[in-house]
Amino acid sequence: MSAVVGSPVDGRAGPLSGVDDPVFSQQMVGPGMAVTPGGGRGDAVAPIAGTVATLHPHAFVITAAGGASVLVHLGIDTVKLKGEGFALHVAKGDIVEAGQPMVTWDPTEVEAHGYSAVCPVVVLEVEAEALGDFREAGAVTAGEPLFSVRE
Amino acid sequence: MAEDKAAAILTALGGGNNIVEIEPCITRLRCEVEDGSKVDEAGLKAAGAHGVMQQGTVVQVVVGPEADTLSGDIEDLL
Repeated sequence: MSAVVGSPVDGRAGPLSGVDDPVFSQQMVGPGMAVTPGGGRGDAVAPIAGTVATLHPHAFVITAAGGASVLVHLGIDTVKLKGEGFALHVAKGDIVEAGQPMVTWDPTEVEAHGYSAVCPVVVLEVEAEALGDFREAGAVTAGEPLFSVRE
Repeated sequence: MAEDKAAAILTALGGGNNIVEIEPCITRLRCEVEDGSKVDEAGLKAAGAHGVMQQGTVVQVVVGPEADTLSGDIEDLL
């Protein structure tokens, strides 16, 4: 079985290696892709159906029925914004559908604070080989597939 | 088990007296320490860290999704 992981935001998809944070660029917590958001205030959506396992204003983890845990991080070092400008639409433990709005945020505002707004989308603690069907780098709309994960 | 890991990480960070602040962030522990030279990077990796990033007194210990739990366990030891 494999599950499709979709983009949480509209923007440009690319490799994790381009992210300015070694935790993601060196895939310390798992493989995935990164999406650089294309617009202003909008929703980050669930990349996969499952249960909200972890929820912070600037990041969340969804655990799918098949076991894969997908982390979406909204920007880099955005924990320092302490939730300012992020509005949550779900709670920890909620069951969500792929594409369901999770957090409303403003990538432009994140950048105005001096942070990168790039969104790493990472499958936690799996080998790189568990992922496949990577999307070609370039424009992506929220909900469109980024890659698949073997479960 | 988890408590052992928390204790090992705390020791490698220079012990409870060396911790100024510790905060979990999904995949990592962000720690501010009193004395950066007391941080034992090899010890952190031996305790299960995937990676360690240190800039002076700010240490990020990459532990994966158990960061929240571990942070709580470490707080309990302080």
